[in-house]
Amino acid sequence: MSFEPKILGFLCNWCSYAGADLAGVSRIQYPPNMRVIRVMCSGRVDPKFIIQALELGLDGVFVMGCHPGDCHYLDGNYEAEKKFEMTKKFLSLAGLEDRIRLDWVSASEGKRYSEVVTKFVNDIKELGPSPLNGEEPDEELLENVRAIKAAVSSERMRALVGRERKITEEENVYGEKFPEEKFNELMDLAIKEEYERHRILLALEKYSKSVKDLAKELDIDPSLVLEHMLVLKSRSQVDFGEIIGNTPVFIRL
Amino acid sequence: MEKVGAVMIVGAGIGGSQAALDLADSGYKVYLIESTTSIGGVMAQLDKTFPTNDCAMCIVSPKLVETGRHQNIDLSINCRILDVSGEAGNFTIKVLKKTLYINPDICTGCGVCGRECPVEAIDLFNEGLAKYAATSVKYPQAVPLVYAINRDYCVGCGICLAVCKAKAVEYEREDEEVDINVGAIILAPGFDEYIPKAANLYGYGKYKNVVTSIEFERILSASGPYAGRVLRPSDGDIPEKVAFLQCIGSRDYSGNGQPYCSSVCCMYTAKEAVIAHEHMHQIKPTIFSMDIRAYGKDFDKYIIRAQEEYGVQYIRSRISSIKEVPETKDLRIRYETEDGKVMEEDFHMVVLAVGLNPPNDAKYLAEKFGVELNEFGFAKTDKFNPVQTSKPGIYACGAFSSPKDIPDTVTQASAAAGCVNQLLYEKRGTLITEKTLPPEIFVNGQPPRIGVFICHCGINIGGFVDVPEVTRYAGTLPNVVLTDRNLYTCSADTQTIIKDKIKEYHLNRVIVASCTPRTHEPLFQETIREAGLNRYLFQMANIRDQCSWVHMNEPEKATEKAKDLVRMAVNKAREIEPIERIRLPVTPKALVVGGGISGMVAALNFASQEYETFLVEKQEELGGFARNIYHTLEGGNVQELLADLINKVKSNKSIHTYTDAEIENIDGYIGNFKTSIIHGKNKERVEFDHGVVIVATGAKEYQPKEYLFGQNENVILQSEFEKMINSTDKLKNKKSIVMIQCVGSRNEEHPYCSKMCCAEAIKNALLTKEKNPDLEITVLFRDIRTYGFKEKYYRKAREAGVIFLRYDEDNPPKIVSEDSILKVEVSTPRKEIININSDLLVLSAGIYSDREENEELAKMLKVPLNDDNFFLEAHVKLRPVDFATEGVFVAGLAHCPKTIEDSISQANAAVSRACTILSKEEIEAEGKTAMIIPERCIGCGMCIENCAYNAIELIDDRRFGRIAQINQALCKGCGACSGNCRCAAIDVLGFTGEQVFAMITGRC
Amino acid sequence: MTTQTKQEESLNDEWEPKILAFLCNWCSYAGADLAGVSRIQYPPTIRVVRVPCSGRVSPYFIIKSLMDGWDGVVVSGCHPGDCHYLTGNLVARRRFAILKELLEFFGIEPGRVNFMWASAAEGERFANLIKKATKIVKKLGPNKKFEKKW
Repeated sequence: MSFEPKILGFLCNWCSYAGADLAGVSRIQYPPNMRVIRVMCSGRVDPKFIIQALELGLDGVFVMGCHPGDCHYLDGNYEAEKKFEMTKKFLSLAGLEDRIRLDWVSASEGKRYSEVVTKFVNDIKELGPSPLNGEEPDEELLENVRAIKAAVSSERMRALVGRERKITEEENVYGEKFPEEKFNELMDLAIKEEYERHRILLALEKYSKSVKDLAKELDIDPSLVLEHMLVLKSRSQVDFGEIIGNTPVFIRL
Repeated sequence: MEKVGAVMIVGAGIGGSQAALDLADSGYKVYLIESTTSIGGVMAQLDKTFPTNDCAMCIVSPKLVETGRHQNIDLSINCRILDVSGEAGNFTIKVLKKTLYINPDICTGCGVCGRECPVEAIDLFNEGLAKYAATSVKYPQAVPLVYAINRDYCVGCGICLAVCKAKAVEYEREDEEVDINVGAIILAPGFDEYIPKAANLYGYGKYKNVVTSIEFERILSASGPYAGRVLRPSDGDIPEKVAFLQCIGSRDYSGNGQPYCSSVCCMYTAKEAVIAHEHMHQIKPTIFSMDIRAYGKDFDKYIIRAQEEYGVQYIRSRISSIKEVPETKDLRIRYETEDGKVMEEDFHMVVLAVGLNPPNDAKYLAEKFGVELNEFGFAKTDKFNPVQTSKPGIYACGAFSSPKDIPDTVTQASAAAGCVNQLLYEKRGTLITEKTLPPEIFVNGQPPRIGVFICHCGINIGGFVDVPEVTRYAGTLPNVVLTDRNLYTCSADTQTIIKDKIKEYHLNRVIVASCTPRTHEPLFQETIREAGLNRYLFQMANIRDQCSWVHMNEPEKATEKAKDLVRMAVNKAREIEPIERIRLPVTPKALVVGGGISGMVAALNFASQEYETFLVEKQEELGGFARNIYHTLEGGNVQELLADLINKVKSNKSIHTYTDAEIENIDGYIGNFKTSIIHGKNKERVEFDHGVVIVATGAKEYQPKEYLFGQNENVILQSEFEKMINSTDKLKNKKSIVMIQCVGSRNEEHPYCSKMCCAEAIKNALLTKEKNPDLEITVLFRDIRTYGFKEKYYRKAREAGVIFLRYDEDNPPKIVSEDSILKVEVSTPRKEIININSDLLVLSAGIYSDREENEELAKMLKVPLNDDNFFLEAHVKLRPVDFATEGVFVAGLAHCPKTIEDSISQANAAVSRACTILSKEEIEAEGKTAMIIPERCIGCGMCIENCAYNAIELIDDRRFGRIAQINQALCKGCGACSGNCRCAAIDVLGFTGEQVFAMITGRC
Repeated sequence: MTTQTKQEESLNDEWEPKILAFLCNWCSYAGADLAGVSRIQYPPTIRVVRVPCSGRVSPYFIIKSLMDGWDGVVVSGCHPGDCHYLTGNLVARRRFAILKELLEFFGIEPGRVNFMWASAAEGERFANLIKKATKIVKKLGPNKKFEKKW
């Protein structure tokens, strides 16, 4: 039997969900692989939802909203786009970025709805089953996805993504427009840092480990691990444990 | 132009802060201008200080808090000098106060903004070792504790505004320009450390495990990024083998660094090595250095201890390059040992002892203030007065004029203040503000009516402790007649509320449950005093720093604890009584003991401020040690200076000089001394009253027993040699001169460095070479200690052909006299024996202090001597001219061997410290002092032994017999006497036994 | 070499001792404040009495605390040599050396009364010392030598 992917779809109530309904009313046929969750707005789709779906072994996640400018809630879909971009960047660190997609489908685009769904299903089929699916999921990857889930939910990432549009498109608190490239640089760095930090936190969950252990396990430069440790320590998430030989170990708090 | 009774101090490190406190306490308005966002400078970054291993933060932070709170100090942070005009006595300075984007008057320093800031920037205070938010404070104990937004990192997201409950964030806040009118200026901008990046010789910036000494200082610090664990940055392991490389960017003629010696690196390196080993015993430090320049008081002992007790290894070698071993990130060092072998060794970590450069903005400051810089880019100062810049009315102190350590900086800070006193003394008290307070409400005998104010501190307390519940509970406690809770109890509007409630409810005890009394008690005490209550009718319960913040995950238990803490405060409040601060009159006269340079400078400074001064000299003539010195190494004419000083002293009407004098007795205490002396040929007895004492009794030149001194006329002392060069032509027929250093210094009898001998030898060698270039001069030394800019002359001497040969302490040169020739045999570190035939042997004899003479005076003044018989100051780092006994100060050689310039600084510093007393008609002593319960005292005298301030004596009381008595003027209220009193006959006001018991008891 | 160790099991939290802590104003109290500013968490077992100097702490204070039912007492001053009052902590150290023996003679378990040093820069050390003292007193159990008065 050929591979039949399981795909989760988040559809906004006002455009995409209506579009899907229209496809039904018009009896337009498309593959049955997507299960839909109706949300009031694509802006409601928390990055955590997407990651959790992947963590549970779904082969793909599709987020759909109104076309730019058409949002029932004025700019919810713009927010959705920023959050999606961030999520994608995070997932690219684990090599899962192609398993999620964002697209705009209006209430009148029943045909288009069926097209984009078909395309996504086919693309996922080509990618094959999720490595997190099945009896023996890829444990290492699973850990990384969990780290991403924690990272996208962190206050720092939420704060950055939540204010991104305001400060890069309108004006920041000083009445200036913050340059987008500079913000993206900052965002990319924050994504990398938070991903690594949450991987460290997860790795420390069961056992306390030294910087060198973590560096080897996670393939991060040890000096960078140490830097992360200091930040995590200031956030009261880790602390120094005992010293074995000449090597101090860290414990998760 | 009319003089102005205000002073501007530029730079608020330890030097600037000390000068500010001295002047503010002497009746001047002080404008303290700081370029960064908090005061404390480099000292606040240090872990420990040498040679006592004192915790830097512990000793500096009370001083900083005092500076931040002083009502005559106007502190401005984040400032830049724009323009300066005017002249000595009346300057106007335009200052740019850069915005912090946070209102410093409202910010409570709670730090929520920093925790929520999503942008991570580098934390400069920790030297880039840790990360910090764009909204930050320099360090947790910063003064003022005000957060600032760093616009370089801020993206303008607005989160800090949203989380700040105090509403202190003001993005629209703009820079402000102000004109400040002052009579004098003190420049104390400090230094910037040499960054070895440019040369990249040592792999700094390239190899992770190569750090600078200041970075290592943060690594050592308990409040640093690694919380006091010594870890190497590459992988977080504890480095077992740590190499310290000296003279990085100092004594460097290659053009990469600076040619001078940075003066402090030898000692701070020894300290860092010792502390590293102390923190982590597996660490074995190795120090690579050329000379070990441990020239200060008790420094040599520290170096010896480092080697003997802490296993610090010294290798005399200068390392030129380091290579990283790629697999381990260890560092491979190649070096040549003194006996010529080339070695290669791997270390886990390398610390570069970086030198002190002039501050980065030295040129800018010099230009604005119109002062000259010297050839090295430091402030140029007077030959004999190291705090006087090239412009009258502008003084410099600390590392801005030359690299120096903390005590020298503090001394200079006071010295600069001493010079300001001379300039502005007539305007003292004209610009300071004195508050008029309502008379105190009489509360004695009334039942306690306690008001409890509980603070939410935004979410800092309220987020974790159930404040309404604590408030309810407080209301149930006996005698509590009012409870109130506030978002921020420290805010200005709450102060008004507190005052109103005191009146409305007739409160006679006030409790605030909020943050720490260490920073906020004075504020609330001031508030209740303004409402007419004695300021000691106040108690604080620390439910933030020691409760909500440290039990964030256990809100219920934190609430329980907060209730207990409030109950304990209420229990104590019931027992507290008003305390009167004692006022003591001050006799505005000074006694200066010793008529050398230090003594005369001090006397003249006092006299120029119209204080009557008694100058007492043991010998028949004034002048002291300096009478044997002709020039300084830098070319200052000492005899000219001396003649000038003696002349001025003799002609000054305010100075009473007594020569051939002996002190018979000194009685009394701060502000109120009585002294009798016997002077002159006729042994006349004189008695006088005075308010302060300066000890400037000097020291003596060692008379060697070694090297045939006294047996062979061709063996002479450096002082005799100086006389020979300057006043005879005996040099002409000499062919070879040998000088031996450290004669009577750094040995068992005198285990300290005499500091001046290296400079003396080089000075005389240079002068000799000038007069007779063909004369061969060999200097036999152990370490050449030409610290600071004196290094220049060491190089000059080597260029002039003076030969320097090192010998070991264990293997001193041997002298054989044959006819008129002295044969000198030296064994060098290369194990070679060198024979020199010389016709003159010059011994660099050390300086020593006579125990018997000093002990007599020390006993009269109740001040201590150290093991080497020099006078021991109150605190080696921060109170270098004070004694623990108040009103008594020290200057010059009596303190330890030092140069003439340093002695002059110390004399002026001692005067400045004394002026903080003499400038007042009466002094107010701390109210929380010990007190004797006479009916319990048996007069055993135990308390006298325990008192570090000599505040207790035994008296014969008419009713109680022999009992102890406490001099409240001297008592500091530590309670050591009370805790040890076997009869429980001593109590401490503010912390009485009853009050502590009330806190101990679990009941209400 | 492996440096992995099993996470220490959290202390069982049925009974929490109550410990009275006498902290000197200049070092240990400041160190406790620093622990707060740095948000270093430690067990909520101590109640602090601020004293000017560890030298102020009379042996009677300690005995009285135990009589009053506190499960433990902590006295913390500046490190030897760092005393704000020059020698107050040295006086205290000598005094407590004797007191310790005396308390043992009375049958008070060693460990119920703890003397320690923490500087103003040692927030973390302070927290660790409190953790340690709590652990020790917890192990000893409630103070039953004296009738509990509250």
